Amino acid sequence: MTRTIFTALLGALVLALVPGGARADAAAGEETFKGNGCMDCHYTDGPAKEKTIDDQLAKKGPELWYAGSKFQQEWLQAWLAKPEPIRPMAYNSLTEKNPADHPALSGDDVANVTEFLMGLTSDAVEAGKVKPKKNPKGRLIFTKKMPCSGCHQYESKKGLTGGLMGPTLVGAGTRLNPDWILAYLMQPEVFKPVKMMPVFVGILREKDMQNVAAYVANFK
Amino acid sequence: MTRLKAIAALIACLGFVAAGPAAAEVDAEKVYKFYCAQCHGLEGKGDGPNVYKDFPVSPRNFTNAAEMDKLSDADMRNVIRDGGPSVSKSPMMPPWGKTISDEEVDALVGHLRKLCACEGKKG
Repeated sequence: MTRTIFTALLGALVLALVPGGARADAAAGEETFKGNGCMDCHYTDGPAKEKTIDDQLAKKGPELWYAGSKFQQEWLQAWLAKPEPIRPMAYNSLTEKNPADHPALSGDDVANVTEFLMGLTSDAVEAGKVKPKKNPKGRLIFTKKMPCSGCHQYESKKGLTGGLMGPTLVGAGTRLNPDWILAYLMQPEVFKPVKMMPVFVGILREKDMQNVAAYVANFK
Repeated sequence: MTRLKAIAALIACLGFVAAGPAAAEVDAEKVYKFYCAQCHGLEGKGDGPNVYKDFPVSPRNFTNAAEMDKLSDADMRNVIRDGGPSVSKSPMMPPWGKTISDEEVDALVGHLRKLCACEGKKG
Protein backbone atom coordinates (compact mmCIF):
# COMPACT_ATOMS: atom_id res chain seq x y z
CA MET A 1 0.00 0.00 0.00
CA THR A 2 2.77 2.40 1.04
CA ARG A 3 4.66 1.42 -2.08
CA THR A 4 1.66 2.21 -4.30
CA ILE A 5 1.24 5.65 -2.75
CA PHE A 6 4.98 6.29 -3.15
CA THR A 7 4.87 5.29 -6.81
CA ALA A 8 1.84 7.49 -7.46
CA LEU A 9 3.51 10.45 -5.76
CA LEU A 10 6.70 9.91 -7.72
CA GLY A 11 4.73 9.75 -10.97
CA ALA A 12 2.90 12.97 -10.13
CA LEU A 13 6.20 14.65 -9.30
CA VAL A 14 7.74 13.62 -12.62
CA LEU A 15 4.70 14.90 -14.52
CA ALA A 16 4.84 18.18 -12.63
CA LEU A 17 8.50 18.66 -13.45
CA VAL A 18 8.24 17.92 -17.15
CA PRO A 19 7.41 21.20 -18.92
CA GLY A 20 4.29 21.15 -21.04
CA GLY A 21 2.92 18.04 -19.37
CA ALA A 22 3.85 14.50 -20.20
CA ARG A 23 7.03 13.41 -21.92
CA ALA A 24 7.76 16.13 -24.47
CA ASP A 25 10.30 14.65 -26.82
CA ALA A 26 12.75 16.99 -28.56
CA ALA A 27 13.95 14.32 -31.00
CA ALA A 28 10.37 13.58 -32.04
CA GLY A 29 9.82 17.32 -32.30
CA GLU A 30 12.79 17.69 -34.64
CA GLU A 31 11.44 14.85 -36.76
CA THR A 32 8.04 16.55 -36.97
CA PHE A 33 9.68 19.90 -37.72
CA LYS A 34 11.62 18.45 -40.62
CA GLY A 35 8.83 16.17 -41.81
CA ASN A 36 6.30 18.98 -41.92
CA GLY A 37 8.49 21.10 -44.17
CA CYS A 38 9.17 23.77 -41.54
CA MET A 39 12.74 23.93 -42.83
CA ASP A 40 11.42 25.37 -46.10
CA CYS A 41 11.00 28.69 -44.28
CA HIS A 42 13.04 28.42 -41.07
CA TYR A 43 16.62 27.32 -40.58
CA THR A 44 17.63 25.89 -37.24
CA ASP A 45 21.40 25.54 -37.49
CA GLY A 46 23.37 28.59 -36.42
CA PRO A 47 25.31 30.74 -36.59
CA ALA A 48 23.53 33.26 -38.77
CA LYS A 49 24.01 32.64 -42.49
CA GLU A 50 22.89 35.96 -44.03
CA LYS A 51 25.67 38.13 -45.41
CA THR A 52 23.86 40.28 -47.97
CA ILE A 53 20.48 41.87 -48.52
CA ASP A 54 19.80 39.17 -51.11
CA ASP A 55 20.48 36.49 -48.48
CA GLN A 56 17.94 38.07 -46.18
CA LEU A 57 15.36 38.56 -48.91
CA ALA A 58 15.71 34.93 -49.98
CA LYS A 59 14.40 33.79 -46.58
CA LYS A 60 10.71 32.94 -46.34
CA GLY A 61 10.55 33.18 -42.55
CA PRO A 62 12.61 34.01 -39.50
CA GLU A 63 15.61 31.92 -38.51
CA LEU A 64 14.98 29.74 -35.47
CA TRP A 65 18.46 28.60 -34.51
CA TYR A 66 18.23 30.58 -31.26
CA ALA A 67 14.49 30.07 -30.66
CA GLY A 68 15.11 28.71 -27.15
CA SER A 69 16.92 31.91 -26.20
CA LYS A 70 14.40 34.19 -27.85
CA PHE A 71 10.99 32.85 -26.90
CA GLN A 72 9.20 31.97 -23.71
CA GLN A 73 8.27 28.29 -23.67
CA GLU A 74 4.67 28.70 -22.58
CA TRP A 75 4.03 31.28 -25.30
CA LEU A 76 5.73 29.17 -27.97
CA GLN A 77 3.71 26.10 -27.12
CA ALA A 78 0.44 28.03 -27.26
CA TRP A 79 1.46 29.73 -30.50
CA LEU A 80 2.39 26.53 -32.29
CA ALA A 81 -1.08 25.16 -31.54
CA LYS A 82 -2.79 28.36 -32.60
CA PRO A 83 -0.50 30.61 -34.64
CA GLU A 84 -1.46 34.24 -35.04
CA PRO A 85 0.49 36.82 -37.05
CA ILE A 86 3.45 38.35 -35.27
CA ARG A 87 4.33 40.56 -38.21
CA PRO A 88 1.52 42.71 -39.64
CA MET A 89 3.19 42.47 -43.07
CA ALA A 90 4.18 39.26 -44.87
CA TYR A 91 7.82 38.33 -44.22
CA ASN A 92 10.20 40.56 -46.22
CA SER A 93 7.30 42.23 -48.03
CA LEU A 94 6.57 45.94 -48.32
CA THR A 95 3.28 45.42 -50.05
CA GLU A 96 1.58 42.22 -48.84
CA LYS A 97 -0.21 41.91 -45.53
CA ASN A 98 0.62 38.84 -43.45
CA PRO A 99 -1.70 36.18 -44.88
CA ALA A 100 -2.07 34.61 -41.42
CA ASP A 101 -1.69 31.16 -42.87
CA HIS A 102 1.07 29.69 -40.68
CA PRO A 103 0.34 25.98 -40.22
CA ALA A 104 -0.78 24.88 -36.76
CA LEU A 105 0.40 21.80 -34.89
CA SER A 106 -1.78 19.51 -32.84
CA GLY A 107 -1.57 16.63 -30.40
CA ASP A 108 1.86 15.58 -29.14
CA ASP A 109 3.54 17.53 -31.94
CA VAL A 110 2.90 20.79 -30.11
CA ALA A 111 4.89 19.87 -27.00
CA ASN A 112 7.51 17.96 -28.96
CA VAL A 113 8.28 20.74 -31.42
CA THR A 114 8.27 23.23 -28.56
CA GLU A 115 10.81 21.05 -26.75
CA PHE A 116 12.95 20.85 -29.88
CA LEU A 117 12.87 24.60 -30.52
CA MET A 118 13.48 25.53 -26.89
CA GLY A 119 16.64 23.44 -27.06
CA LEU A 120 18.06 25.74 -29.75
CA THR A 121 19.94 28.41 -27.86
CA SER A 122 22.66 31.01 -28.32
CA ASP A 123 25.56 31.59 -25.96
CA ALA A 124 25.29 35.32 -26.72
CA VAL A 125 22.22 35.58 -24.49
CA GLU A 126 23.26 36.09 -20.89
CA ALA A 127 20.63 35.04 -18.37
CA GLY A 128 19.44 37.32 -15.60
CA LYS A 129 20.45 40.67 -17.14
CA VAL A 130 16.97 42.13 -17.68
CA LYS A 131 13.94 42.25 -15.44
CA PRO A 132 10.73 43.42 -17.11
CA LYS A 133 9.89 46.80 -15.70
CA LYS A 134 7.95 49.90 -16.65
CA ASN A 135 10.65 52.52 -16.53
CA PRO A 136 10.55 56.13 -17.72
CA LYS A 137 14.02 56.05 -19.30
CA GLY A 138 13.19 53.02 -21.43
CA ARG A 139 9.81 54.51 -22.35
CA LEU A 140 11.39 57.82 -23.35
CA ILE A 141 13.89 56.13 -25.63
CA PHE A 142 11.31 53.77 -27.13
CA THR A 143 8.56 56.31 -27.70
CA LYS A 144 10.41 59.59 -28.25
CA LYS A 145 14.17 59.57 -28.66
CA MET A 146 14.48 56.62 -31.01
CA PRO A 147 12.27 55.54 -33.90
CA CYS A 148 11.24 52.15 -32.45
CA SER A 149 7.52 52.83 -32.81
CA GLY A 150 8.03 53.68 -36.47
CA CYS A 151 8.20 49.96 -37.25
CA HIS A 152 6.83 48.15 -34.19
CA GLN A 153 3.26 48.12 -32.95
CA TYR A 154 2.60 48.33 -29.22
CA GLU A 155 -0.26 49.26 -26.90
CA SER A 156 0.10 52.88 -25.85
CA LYS A 157 -2.19 54.69 -23.44
CA LYS A 158 -4.21 55.75 -26.48
CA GLY A 159 -4.46 52.23 -27.86
CA LEU A 160 -2.67 50.27 -30.55
CA THR A 161 -0.05 52.32 -32.36
CA GLY A 162 3.17 51.87 -34.30
CA GLY A 163 4.40 50.92 -37.77
CA LEU A 164 3.81 47.69 -39.63
CA MET A 165 7.17 46.51 -40.96
CA GLY A 166 8.65 45.08 -37.77
CA PRO A 167 7.30 42.27 -35.62
CA THR A 168 4.57 43.53 -33.31
CA LEU A 169 5.64 44.14 -29.75
CA VAL A 170 2.12 43.72 -28.43
CA GLY A 171 2.46 40.84 -25.99
CA ALA A 172 6.28 40.99 -26.09
CA GLY A 173 6.24 40.44 -22.33
CA THR A 174 4.85 36.97 -22.74
CA ARG A 175 6.52 36.15 -26.08
CA LEU A 176 10.13 37.23 -25.72
CA ASN A 177 12.88 36.40 -23.28
CA PRO A 178 13.85 39.78 -21.75
CA ASP A 179 17.54 38.81 -21.84
CA TRP A 180 17.27 38.07 -25.57
CA ILE A 181 15.88 41.55 -26.26
CA LEU A 182 18.99 43.04 -24.67
CA ALA A 183 21.35 40.63 -26.42
CA TYR A 184 19.69 41.42 -29.75
CA LEU A 185 20.15 45.15 -29.22
CA MET A 186 23.75 44.73 -28.10
CA GLN A 187 24.89 42.14 -30.63
CA PRO A 188 22.53 42.30 -33.59
CA GLU A 189 25.19 40.86 -35.89
CA VAL A 190 24.98 37.55 -34.01
CA PHE A 191 21.26 37.12 -34.58
CA LYS A 192 20.39 39.16 -37.67
CA PRO A 193 23.46 40.41 -39.52
CA VAL A 194 21.32 41.89 -42.32
CA LYS A 195 18.01 43.39 -41.28
CA MET A 196 15.74 46.34 -41.86
CA MET A 197 16.12 47.54 -38.27
CA PRO A 198 18.94 50.01 -37.56
CA VAL A 199 21.92 48.97 -35.47
CA PHE A 200 21.94 50.94 -32.22
CA VAL A 201 25.33 49.78 -30.99
CA GLY A 202 27.46 52.91 -30.59
CA ILE A 203 24.31 55.05 -30.51
CA LEU A 204 22.65 53.80 -27.32
CA ARG A 205 24.68 52.93 -24.24
CA GLU A 206 24.33 49.50 -22.65
CA LYS A 207 22.35 51.02 -19.78
CA ASP A 208 19.94 52.59 -22.29
CA MET A 209 19.52 49.24 -24.00
CA GLN A 210 18.84 47.57 -20.67
CA ASN A 211 16.13 50.13 -19.95
CA VAL A 212 14.57 49.66 -23.39
CA ALA A 213 14.71 45.87 -23.04
CA ALA A 214 13.07 46.06 -19.60
CA TYR A 215 10.39 48.39 -20.98
CA VAL A 216 9.61 46.22 -24.00
CA ALA A 217 9.66 43.06 -21.87
CA ASN A 218 6.86 44.64 -19.90
CA PHE A 219 4.50 44.97 -22.91
CA LYS A 220 1.20 43.18 -22.52
CA MET B 1 60.24 50.60 -78.13
CA THR B 2 59.75 47.12 -76.71
CA ARG B 3 60.89 48.44 -73.36
CA LEU B 4 58.34 51.25 -73.57
CA LYS B 5 55.60 48.76 -74.39
CA ALA B 6 56.58 46.65 -71.39
CA ILE B 7 56.45 49.66 -69.09
CA ALA B 8 53.06 50.66 -70.51
CA ALA B 9 51.75 47.12 -69.96
CA LEU B 10 53.07 47.15 -66.40
CA ILE B 11 51.39 50.48 -65.69
CA ALA B 12 48.14 49.17 -67.14
CA CYS B 13 48.36 46.09 -64.91
CA LEU B 14 49.06 48.19 -61.84
CA GLY B 15 46.11 50.39 -62.70
CA PHE B 16 43.86 47.34 -62.92
CA VAL B 17 45.07 46.00 -59.57
CA ALA B 18 44.57 49.37 -57.90
CA ALA B 19 41.01 49.61 -59.19
CA GLY B 20 40.30 46.15 -57.87
CA PRO B 21 38.55 43.36 -59.70
CA ALA B 22 35.09 44.82 -60.24
CA ALA B 23 35.01 46.54 -56.82
CA ALA B 24 31.67 45.45 -55.35
CA GLU B 25 29.30 47.98 -56.78
CA VAL B 26 26.49 49.15 -54.53
CA ASP B 27 23.00 48.52 -55.87
CA ALA B 28 21.49 51.76 -54.64
CA GLU B 29 17.92 50.82 -55.51
CA LYS B 30 18.21 47.56 -53.60
CA VAL B 31 19.63 49.34 -50.55
CA TYR B 32 16.88 51.96 -50.78
CA LYS B 33 14.11 49.36 -51.01
CA PHE B 34 15.49 47.37 -48.10
CA TYR B 35 16.08 50.16 -45.58
CA CYS B 36 14.28 53.31 -46.70
CA ALA B 37 11.12 52.20 -48.51
CA GLN B 38 9.52 50.93 -45.32
CA CYS B 39 8.78 54.59 -44.45
CA HIS B 40 9.51 56.56 -47.61
CA GLY B 41 7.73 54.18 -49.98
CA LEU B 42 8.98 52.17 -52.93
CA GLU B 43 8.76 55.18 -55.22
CA GLY B 44 9.95 57.65 -52.59
CA LYS B 45 6.66 59.43 -52.10
CA GLY B 46 6.77 59.23 -48.30
CA ASP B 47 4.05 56.60 -48.19
CA GLY B 48 5.74 53.40 -46.98
CA PRO B 49 3.83 50.70 -45.11
CA ASN B 50 5.04 52.01 -41.76
CA VAL B 51 3.17 55.27 -42.19
CA TYR B 52 0.18 54.38 -40.06
CA LYS B 53 -2.65 56.80 -39.38
CA ASP B 54 -1.07 58.45 -36.33
CA PHE B 55 2.53 58.34 -37.55
CA PRO B 56 3.92 61.45 -35.86
CA VAL B 57 5.55 62.95 -38.95
CA SER B 58 5.29 62.75 -42.72
CA PRO B 59 8.34 60.96 -44.08
CA ARG B 60 10.00 63.06 -46.73
CA ASN B 61 8.61 62.79 -50.23
CA PHE B 62 11.74 62.37 -52.34
CA THR B 63 9.87 63.18 -55.52
CA ASN B 64 9.19 66.72 -54.30
CA ALA B 65 11.97 68.51 -56.19
CA ALA B 66 11.28 71.90 -54.61
CA GLU B 67 11.83 70.53 -51.09
CA MET B 68 14.68 68.24 -52.06
CA ASP B 69 16.47 71.10 -53.79
CA LYS B 70 16.88 72.78 -50.39
CA LEU B 71 19.18 69.96 -49.27
CA SER B 72 22.79 69.52 -50.26
CA ASP B 73 24.25 66.06 -50.75
CA ALA B 74 26.15 66.57 -47.49
CA ASP B 75 22.85 67.35 -45.68
CA MET B 76 21.44 64.09 -46.95
CA ARG B 77 24.50 62.11 -45.93
CA ASN B 78 24.27 63.58 -42.43
CA VAL B 79 20.62 62.80 -41.94
CA ILE B 80 21.00 59.26 -43.25
CA ARG B 81 23.98 58.59 -40.99
CA ASP B 82 22.91 60.44 -37.85
CA GLY B 83 19.12 60.53 -38.06
CA GLY B 84 16.51 63.28 -38.04
CA PRO B 85 17.61 65.06 -34.85
CA SER B 86 21.03 65.78 -36.42
CA VAL B 87 19.26 68.29 -38.66
CA SER B 88 16.58 69.31 -36.14
CA LYS B 89 14.08 66.90 -37.65
CA SER B 90 12.10 64.03 -36.17
CA PRO B 91 13.77 61.09 -34.40
CA MET B 92 11.44 58.90 -36.44
CA MET B 93 14.17 59.13 -39.07
CA PRO B 94 16.67 56.62 -37.64
CA PRO B 95 20.42 57.03 -37.49
CA TRP B 96 21.65 54.51 -40.08
CA GLY B 97 25.36 55.23 -39.67
CA LYS B 98 26.06 51.99 -37.78
CA THR B 99 24.00 49.93 -40.23
CA ILE B 100 24.76 51.21 -43.70
CA SER B 101 28.30 51.63 -45.07
CA ASP B 102 29.61 54.99 -46.32
CA GLU B 103 29.59 53.62 -49.86
CA GLU B 104 25.93 52.67 -49.48
CA VAL B 105 25.11 56.11 -48.06
CA ASP B 106 26.78 57.76 -51.06
CA ALA B 107 24.87 55.47 -53.41
CA LEU B 108 21.61 56.30 -51.61
CA VAL B 109 22.23 60.01 -52.04
CA GLY B 110 22.63 59.39 -55.77
CA HIS B 111 19.41 57.37 -55.81
CA LEU B 112 17.49 60.11 -54.01
CA ARG B 113 18.73 62.63 -56.57
CA LYS B 114 17.31 60.38 -59.26
CA LEU B 115 13.97 60.22 -57.44
CA CYS B 116 13.73 64.00 -57.12
CA ALA B 117 15.35 64.69 -60.48
CA CYS B 118 17.09 67.60 -58.81
CA GLU B 119 20.66 68.56 -58.03
CA GLY B 120 20.16 70.11 -54.60
CA LYS B 121 21.88 72.92 -52.80
CA LYS B 122 25.56 73.13 -53.60
CA GLY B 123 28.25 73.16 -50.94
